[in-house]
Amino acid sequence: MTNDLIYNDLRLMTNINGMNIIEIRNLTKVYDAKTIPVYALNGVDLAFREGEFTCIVGPSGSGKTTMLNLVGGLDSPTGGEIVIDNTDITGLKSRMLIDFRLRNIGFVFQSFNLIPVLTAKENVEFIMQLQGVNKEQRDKRTLELLDSVGLSDKINVRPNKLSGGQQQRVAVARALASKPKFILADEPTANLDSKSAENLLEIMEILNREENITFIFSTHDPRVVAKARRVITLEDGKIVGDISKN
Amino acid sequence: MNDIRLAWRNIWRNKRRTLLTAASIFLAIFLALIVRSLQTGWFDHLISISIQSYTGHIQIHKKGYWDDRDINNSMPFNDSLTAVIKATNNVDKTVPRLEYFALSSYGKQTKAVMISGTNPVREDALTHLSRKVIKGRYLDSSGNGILVSQGLASFLDLTPGDTVVFLGQGYHGISAAGKFPVAGIIHIPSPQLDNQMIYMNLTTAQYFFNAQDRITSLSITLVNPDEINATVASLRSKIGGEKYEIMRWDEMMGEVMQALKAKIGGGKIIIAILYMIVGFGIFGTVVMMTTERTKEFGVMVSVGMQKTRLAFILVLEMIFIGLTGILSGVVTALPIMVYFHLYPIHLWGGMAQAFISFGIEPLMPLAIKPGFIISNIISVLIIVLLTCIYPIRKAFTLRIVESLHK
Ligand SMILES: Nc1ncnc2c1ncn2[C@@H]1O[C@H](COP(=O)(O)OP(=O)(O)O)[C@@H](O)[C@H]1O
Repeated sequence: MTNDLIYNDLRLMTNINGMNIIEIRNLTKVYDAKTIPVYALNGVDLAFREGEFTCIVGPSGSGKTTMLNLVGGLDSPTGGEIVIDNTDITGLKSRMLIDFRLRNIGFVFQSFNLIPVLTAKENVEFIMQLQGVNKEQRDKRTLELLDSVGLSDKINVRPNKLSGGQQQRVAVARALASKPKFILADEPTANLDSKSAENLLEIMEILNREENITFIFSTHDPRVVAKARRVITLEDGKIVGDISKN
Repeated sequence: MNDIRLAWRNIWRNKRRTLLTAASIFLAIFLALIVRSLQTGWFDHLISISIQSYTGHIQIHKKGYWDDRDINNSMPFNDSLTAVIKATNNVDKTVPRLEYFALSSYGKQTKAVMISGTNPVREDALTHLSRKVIKGRYLDSSGNGILVSQGLASFLDLTPGDTVVFLGQGYHGISAAGKFPVAGIIHIPSPQLDNQMIYMNLTTAQYFFNAQDRITSLSITLVNPDEINATVASLRSKIGGEKYEIMRWDEMMGEVMQALKAKIGGGKIIIAILYMIVGFGIFGTVVMMTTERTKEFGVMVSVGMQKTRLAFILVLEMIFIGLTGILSGVVTALPIMVYFHLYPIHLWGGMAQAFISFGIEPLMPLAIKPGFIISNIISVLIIVLLTCIYPIRKAFTLRIVESLHK
């Protein structure tokens, strides 16, 4: 008990750049526990602060996707805690967790994953509609967001008429729409050509710098890694490197 | 972007599949409605003809008469009984009849006949008997002129003005004999009846059978046939159920009704099979629509859509496809039903012969009843909703991480 308190105090004191918005403690994910257990994550401790622009790297199978899925509340861990904004999301019931994601977490998926029957604008608006934002505010914010990702001219276009890079920019706008505490992106550039990838990273960087949006993403691409300000390296489900550069 | 619009757009993602599914529903409900309309139309036609041509909606006899139609099972009939029955709610017209067999004789020919003593005016009001006269004239309200059915008349070689002799047994076994002038010849559609029917005044028949003030049956028509059970009950309490048998038309038409009900039941089974086949088709569509979009569902739930809402949208999609089929089916079937309701189909060939032999005009009007239209719509909706169990289950058991990897 006392140890915990001291630990907390220490942690608070080290919080110079801002609050920890995510705290991961002893996070473990074991697959196929009944046959041959695969430790996708093996006792990971980690914290993320507001305004980070962090990249998670590591060889294929090192646990990057597993980590992002767990932090995003898309999957449940075998052990450990994930505390976001004083809430341990590993203890949330399905409905609560869905609602928690809606209000706190933005997602950008590797394969774009926009809703095909909705236009760019409607895809962005969709999240706000789930949140119950009124039409006027929705319209205003959607246009702003699409503008910020450089797609003001594609508002009423459906995903199949957009290039991969454009789709992924809509996905970023959609992730931002709910005003989340942070955005998780699992290999967002994996399906993009290098020019689109660069362009997407640039937009993410600007949003991070100018609007203090927190991004946590994984990648294989060294050029993307180069843009990150903090690089966490995973290997066999363990953190083997955590470098911040300023 | 509300759920309704989202669902609507989703079903048109695969136009061909949606149209095929809706078309199968369209066809099923269209066929079902036409079949039910034909069956019900035929059924109602038969009943109304039978009611109008003979039985009425209700008949009152002395208890036991229906099983043993003997003149000794006749009942006294007087003004007070008439008054009580007339005063009963929902009773419209009444026709008293005294009916029994006799032997007819003209020239060298003799033949068994059925004599129906009736009130000419009231009989005509119920069965339009006067319209069946093809030669001579209708019965006068008094006098002993008779109507002879056509088949019988040609057998005995009778024409209006001839005089026939009847011999028989009257009430209490007293022998009956009389001579009656032929007033007119009538045509009855049923060949069996056409070969044996004689109509005469009720008083004439009562005199002939020595059954003064007695009748064998009292036919009653109703203002509102749907309230027949209430009327039967109130008649029973007024005149007494232990002395009289008070029968509904469907009880009197027992065998015919059984046959009809079996036919209709068979029709319903065919419709049910049709619906089942369509149900499997819809199920196939719903399975495809659901499985091919698993990843998309994963995304929607990831970004914060509740599974209940997802399930709701999926159900909406199926309801839209269902309603598209149902509405188009009903809208197409209705005008056809209305047309053939107003202008009944004239039957031909063996079918027409069969009708005629039953004593029914060879017409086939289609019926339009809200009852079977609504029940068919509801049946299809239920099938559609049953198929929705699949996507609902899928939505609630969705595993996000796995679905995203699809
Ligand atoms: N659903 C699963 N079932 C079994 N093993 C899995 C599953 N998902 C991931 N793994 C295993 O967990 C480890 C980490 O995978 P993952 O998080 O996808 O790594 P990365 O994203 O770094 O490639 C790998 O060994 C992988 O095979």
